[in-house]
Amino acid sequence: MKRLAMVLGLVLLSLGWGLTSARAARVGERAPDFTATDSNGKVHKLSEYAGKYVVLEWTNRGCPYTQKHYNSGNMQRLQKEWTGRGVIWLTVVSSAPGKQGYVTATDENSYVNEVKAAPTAVLLDPTGALGHLYDAKTTPHMYIVNPQGTLIYNGAIDDRATTDVADVNGAKNYVSLALEEAMAGKTISAPATRPYGCSVKYPN
Amino acid sequence: MGFERQFGLLVLAFICTICALALPAAAQASETHAKVELIADPESRVSKGTVWVGLQFSLDPGWHIYWRNSGDSGEPPVVRWTLPAGAKAGPLEWPTPVRLGSGSIVDYGYENEVLLMKPIEIEKGASASSLPIAGDVKYIVCREICIPGKAHVEVEAGTDNALPPAKTAEWAAKFRKAREELPKRLPAGWSCSARPWETGINLRVSGASAVRNAIFFPDEPGVIENSASQKYVASGSGFELRLTKSQQLLHRATKLQGVLVVESLDGTRHSYRVAMPVH
Repeated sequence: MKRLAMVLGLVLLSLGWGLTSARAARVGERAPDFTATDSNGKVHKLSEYAGKYVVLEWTNRGCPYTQKHYNSGNMQRLQKEWTGRGVIWLTVVSSAPGKQGYVTATDENSYVNEVKAAPTAVLLDPTGALGHLYDAKTTPHMYIVNPQGTLIYNGAIDDRATTDVADVNGAKNYVSLALEEAMAGKTISAPATRPYGCSVKYPN
Repeated sequence: MGFERQFGLLVLAFICTICALALPAAAQASETHAKVELIADPESRVSKGTVWVGLQFSLDPGWHIYWRNSGDSGEPPVVRWTLPAGAKAGPLEWPTPVRLGSGSIVDYGYENEVLLMKPIEIEKGASASSLPIAGDVKYIVCREICIPGKAHVEVEAGTDNALPPAKTAEWAAKFRKAREELPKRLPAGWSCSARPWETGINLRVSGASAVRNAIFFPDEPGVIENSASQKYVASGSGFELRLTKSQQLLHRATKLQGVLVVESLDGTRHSYRVAMPVH
């Protein structure tokens, strides 16, 4: 009887776990809270940003899709514009040690200076815990949380799913569009799009 | 090392660099891990009204390119075709893909080699005995990392002259293999239907027998969760495949379309084109 109870308990637990992680980060639902450390050793919790818009940007500097947005200055422009308008912009690196995009804190800080990136902070997630919590699949993969803590956007940075720098201009930028709409109190026209990029380099 | 020797090596290195830079783009260097060429079906003739060409990708071990729906990451190859006057291109034919990746990121594509065939229709009354076909290809090839690639490729199609016999046999074999790898129509007596449930879609196949497993590849992204396992359940008249809805799917899916690969009891695999409404 005790054994049966234990087995049942385990089954229920794993069912619950499965349901939770499968339903994490759905648009329209509460964005999962997290605790993560940035490249300056500072700890961030999503909940400390209640009352602000938060953008999460998954990145890997070696990925050609990411490079399209950084080499063109597009990502830096977005970061500057939106942090200037009070948005918290958190870049996330979920590459595992030894995999493309993995960085040490010092490395990342040099890189941010070098490319003139302007996020609020860069969260280092080498275990992939934050990535898996949000089910981040590609670099780039973008999420927006509104001041009430609801996830209002999950998907691609724009509508040109290519590695061509020439496709940056003229692309419909889903992040800017969603932020503009949300700030104007309008319905988000494209709340969930298919993210494009290289796969996030999680640990095996 | 003596000065003369050092200088000589330097000159040699310089010459080699110049030579490498001067090589034509069509001879793919191994750093892209893919060799791309345009070949023509040796059986095609202009007089028959349709000639077939094929984009042949030969990939280094472990590297892959993507299917029409790349899955969670990557993108399929894209071609801008240059055709002679009076010729019209039909759609690219995609052989059955394989599932790539693992964990929370699953893609669809091809490893080793694949031929993407394209029919070119010729206007009645065309007098040419052969057609020059060209393509500008953009693709991405990945393993642990991804490398974008570009190639300009050309071939003379529909002609029966001047290919050495070994080449003719090689190209004919590639077209034969690609045709075998295309998904076929469902066997007579089999039918498909799809029914939604809270977090998924049940793909039911009736009339199937002597089958033990199946896997579904969706034509469209954003309908099913690619990384979720597809639970195979035998049912009285066939089987069901329990698919999970994509996180990006905010509205109800109205149709399901793609490739169904079925594993028979004897271990052989068969690939079918399926399309059905979801209700």
